[in-house]
Amino acid sequence: MPDAIPLPRVAPETVANTTSLLRIIALSLISGAAIASRLFAVINFESIIHEFDPWFNYRATRVLAAKGFYEFWNWFDPTAWYPLGRVVGGTIYPGLMATSGVIYNILHGLNLPVDIRNVCVLLAPGFSALTAWATYMFTKELKDASAGLIAASFIGIAPGYISRSVAGSYDNEAIAIFLLMFTFFTWIKALKLGSAFFGTIAAVFYFYMVAAWGGYVFITNMIPLHALVLLLMGRYTNRLYVAYSSWYAVGTLSSMQVPFVGFQPVRTSEHMAALGVFGLLQLVAFSDLVRSHVGSKQFRTLLRVALVASGILGGAVIVLLTLKGWIAPWTGRFYSLWDTEYAKKYIPIIASVSEHQPTAWPSFFMDLHVLITIFPAGVILCFKELRDEHVFVIIYAVMASYFAGVMVRLMLTLTPVVCVAAAIATSTLFDTYLDVHEPEDPSAENSVPVVTVSGESHVGGTNVTVTTPAPAPTPSKKAKKAQAQAAAPASSIASTIAEATGTAGVTTRQDRGVFGLGSRLVVVALWVYMLLFFVVHSTWVTSNAYSSPSVVLSSRNPDGSQHIIDDFREAYYWLRQNTPEDAVVMSWWDYGYQIAGMADRPTMVDNNTWNNTHIATVGKAMASSEEVAYPILRKHDVSYVLVIFGSLIGYSGDDINKFLWMIRIAQGIWPDEVSEPSFFTPRGEYKVDEQASPAMKNSVMYKTSYYRFAELYGGNQPQDRVRNQNLPMKGPTLDYLEEAFTSENWIVRIYAVKGDDELGRDLKVANSFNEGKKRKRGRPLVRRRAVAAV
Amino acid sequence: MRLLSLLTTALLVGLSAATSSAGNSVLVVLEPKLSREQFSIFFDGLESKGYDLTFRAPKDEKPVILEDDIPAFSHVIFFAPTTKNFASDITPQSIITLLENRVNVLIALSPSTTPLTSLAAEFSLILPPPNTPLISHFPSRPHPPTTLAITPHNGPNAPILSKNLGPVLFKGISHAYGENPRLVSILKAPKESFASDTESDRGSESIADAVEKGGEGLWAGGSMGVVSGFQTVSGARVTWVGGVDVFGDEFANAEALEGVKSGNEQFSKDVAAWTFQESLVLRIANTSHHLLGENYPRDHYTTKDEIVYSIDIERFDAKTSTWKPYSGITDLQLEYTMLDPHIRTALPPIKGAPGHYSVTFRAPDRHGVFKFVVDYKRKGWTHLHSAIVVPLVPPRHDGYPRFLSSAWPYYAGAISTSIGFVIFSALWLGGDVREKGKGKGKKAE
Repeated sequence: MPDAIPLPRVAPETVANTTSLLRIIALSLISGAAIASRLFAVINFESIIHEFDPWFNYRATRVLAAKGFYEFWNWFDPTAWYPLGRVVGGTIYPGLMATSGVIYNILHGLNLPVDIRNVCVLLAPGFSALTAWATYMFTKELKDASAGLIAASFIGIAPGYISRSVAGSYDNEAIAIFLLMFTFFTWIKALKLGSAFFGTIAAVFYFYMVAAWGGYVFITNMIPLHALVLLLMGRYTNRLYVAYSSWYAVGTLSSMQVPFVGFQPVRTSEHMAALGVFGLLQLVAFSDLVRSHVGSKQFRTLLRVALVASGILGGAVIVLLTLKGWIAPWTGRFYSLWDTEYAKKYIPIIASVSEHQPTAWPSFFMDLHVLITIFPAGVILCFKELRDEHVFVIIYAVMASYFAGVMVRLMLTLTPVVCVAAAIATSTLFDTYLDVHEPEDPSAENSVPVVTVSGESHVGGTNVTVTTPAPAPTPSKKAKKAQAQAAAPASSIASTIAEATGTAGVTTRQDRGVFGLGSRLVVVALWVYMLLFFVVHSTWVTSNAYSSPSVVLSSRNPDGSQHIIDDFREAYYWLRQNTPEDAVVMSWWDYGYQIAGMADRPTMVDNNTWNNTHIATVGKAMASSEEVAYPILRKHDVSYVLVIFGSLIGYSGDDINKFLWMIRIAQGIWPDEVSEPSFFTPRGEYKVDEQASPAMKNSVMYKTSYYRFAELYGGNQPQDRVRNQNLPMKGPTLDYLEEAFTSENWIVRIYAVKGDDELGRDLKVANSFNEGKKRKRGRPLVRRRAVAAV
Repeated sequence: MRLLSLLTTALLVGLSAATSSAGNSVLVVLEPKLSREQFSIFFDGLESKGYDLTFRAPKDEKPVILEDDIPAFSHVIFFAPTTKNFASDITPQSIITLLENRVNVLIALSPSTTPLTSLAAEFSLILPPPNTPLISHFPSRPHPPTTLAITPHNGPNAPILSKNLGPVLFKGISHAYGENPRLVSILKAPKESFASDTESDRGSESIADAVEKGGEGLWAGGSMGVVSGFQTVSGARVTWVGGVDVFGDEFANAEALEGVKSGNEQFSKDVAAWTFQESLVLRIANTSHHLLGENYPRDHYTTKDEIVYSIDIERFDAKTSTWKPYSGITDLQLEYTMLDPHIRTALPPIKGAPGHYSVTFRAPDRHGVFKFVVDYKRKGWTHLHSAIVVPLVPPRHDGYPRFLSSAWPYYAGAISTSIGFVIFSALWLGGDVREKGKGKGKKAE
């Protein structure tokens, strides 16, 4: 067999040793790249906790580090959801905080006095290295180590994952993706080996995942779905039984130890699939057992009927329990996964979150770049082999693709499978084109039928195990199966796709092939170029789109230098230093965690949106006129109202843009008092200028946003730079609130709620008195109506 | 009643040394038409109680009542019922500022319109049109119709005045009451009285007509007031008097009715004592809360805890100028509130512990940030308000009962499964060995 280029003769042991060394080096480099690319945020800004949720996680971690685990578990936070308070210990996934706490304690045990903040900031990059390793292990099970390395490098820098794991993005997802991939890896390993040991390890990591992220439900449904599909494919084996049973039993029992989860695994619909498949497996196993012992055909039929009947009965029981209310029905968040309009109609609070919106197409390219284009090829390559683990990847790919299309944030769960599939495709391509072996006889012979080589994996080898049409020139196919397998550059991905989709077959003549060194190099070089471009893209996206802490904003000066806009922290520190410690701050829930974390003040609502009514109360206070809002504010002991206002510098994420959601959520609870249409102009436009509707102009949100804004323009036409509208020349006035603080760029405006008037008057009356306005003469109140003249 | 007599005796006995709970400096803004001598009994009475009186005319620049929003006096008397123009430091707004700084104010009005009459509206007092003094033709008395002899109604609703007070001679205007609950009526107009710009009966028809047509309204009858008090949010007291002559020597020495001496001297003392925070002054000396069986406060309580809340209330004793424990409140309530009161319970005085009120109650089974609220507002008395915020938390993870009798089926299930597992393992392992043993035995055989 001739080679395209001469190969040096090396001993197999040397090859093996060198390969493993190179593998370790490659993995270390990948880890390094994964960590380094996530440090843009620290370099461009500073070591700071990002966004919203991470601020709560950070605060909780500090409590954990300072007071220990038991105090953390029993932590009741009286400053959140004032005055309801929040049972933090029982309403969070403590995995993230526990992880950082352990790391923090270990570092301090080693006399490394690291600040807890830095542990939190750098946790996500650290775990991204572990994710790369877990993806390597996972892909290795599917194909081989080289595909694993490629997958690891993909996941290391894929923007879809980086978006949730840059330094400072201290959120549950930071560790959850690692746990997801590792649980899947151990599941596949358990399934392959039929090992209760790996099944238990999968269960342990599943438990860690349950403790870390609400997205564990994805695993809870993926693994049963995989098992079910294998059953339906007639692939029931004892390996499956052992792997699934050990995973389910240990995993479910341990997941119930997480206080927030509690009895959900046996009480809610999201977990019923796992339970049902578990029961089904027992039935199937039982029937298998009986079948192996009983010969009678009639008995088998009877057994089958009994099995079907018990299956139906079991399903009926579950339905009945659901109807009876013993099993909680699907939650709204899950309905919104099936019906994208559902949330908008019934639960505006879910729809109001931008990351719950359906994904726009460009973001697939933005987050995955070239990977999304070869992702289908990888999935099809999985079809070609279709071992149990490939079925898993196929199901994962289908489900995750759907979910990623429905919700932006679920792009995160799609990213790993895209990386895995793309790595399989890439690795196959390299295997095919970089193989130096050439067909023996390059003379053309066109009348050879296709021979399909079934994909038996070559243990330890780097051979592609795709179905390969035989290279045309080879005269005697069947004798040279093994060679044909290795030497089929012609059957690049295009033809495999054709075959997998069913158009290929005997009728197609597979007689073309690319064997020339130059041609191979062109293909490989092109693909390498694409991958290099992927690196460039990832770097660019990471540094420009995903590394902003959103607590600190940056803009460019005319000369190109960076200008930092630090209004949020300025305002939060103002609150921290100038207000009493028990002063309740009311803001829209987006800023609740930040206020609690940075200003250390009680908040009415925060990002843990567990109480829709309380949020609607805030929405109502914001959407109503001052007279209506004031009693609400006083009843909840609110001292300060905080609004985000972007009109001065054009910060589009401000409260006026979120205002419609506040109205909708309030309307859901008080349809008689707040109505969305009244905030639009008669022509149905959302306006803040002269034509704004009276309800809009009188709302607390509008007033607090634009209060004294017109003065800034000194008699010129004031302009809203976010909505590009001209504002009224005369701004709104306030009676029940007074301006307490406005940040440098006016992004954060804080208003103090006035106390009772000294004389118990209505504050509006008191204000007009203070301005020296004359009151209308009163008359004695008529306490009794005089009887009409007889 | 016992209280009232106590108070009266306190006032009578303590004439020499008693002072106010709020300070002794008094500014009297006396308009030039009036002289100090006209009110010598009233002013001398104040001085003899220990007050420092400073007099100034409305248009004087000095002494200012407010300097940089800091009041210079503890109490201010406005005896300037006809003054139209005040010095720049006296405006309706600055008087409100005085009140915010807990300065007590006594204001006399007259039928003429002044800046102070427009201020009355802010206190929810509705004054009659200008130049319509209160008039009554009954009963017959040695005074013109504009001078009325009003018999004060003592009782629980008007605890400010002394008991057995003689008829009070009054000349001035009446006022109707608005809806502000902070008003307290001190002296009401007689039933037969009405506000009118003429003493003759000729205009009566037109007045009635005006009312019928819903015009200006009718200031007539017993629901009008002539002297009214007001307690502000910060605790300052304001008294509005319809005419300045009530405090005058002339009325104090006159007979109200034939053979009946007027009660004006005692009346003005009572009004001043109330206004200047001598009488009916309460304060919260101390509040505390703790678990039953403990005696230190916790920074949080657990649901269903037995909590003891207690409050110590003191009353100012003008006789000795000291605060003394006061157990006389019988209708004090405690509210345990989160948004709404979850528990509202009586807070009774404890026998044997003067001024001590205490109650033990069981916290509701609802966690949250709760407040112990005592909100005691009674007409004439100082308003008492106290709110202590203490979170109520759910039980700790180890705070629940460890074993439940109702859970025995589950315990039994768990125990039997565990035992079964052990037995099964033992049998499995042991059985295996035996089989091997048997096999060996067979081989041996």
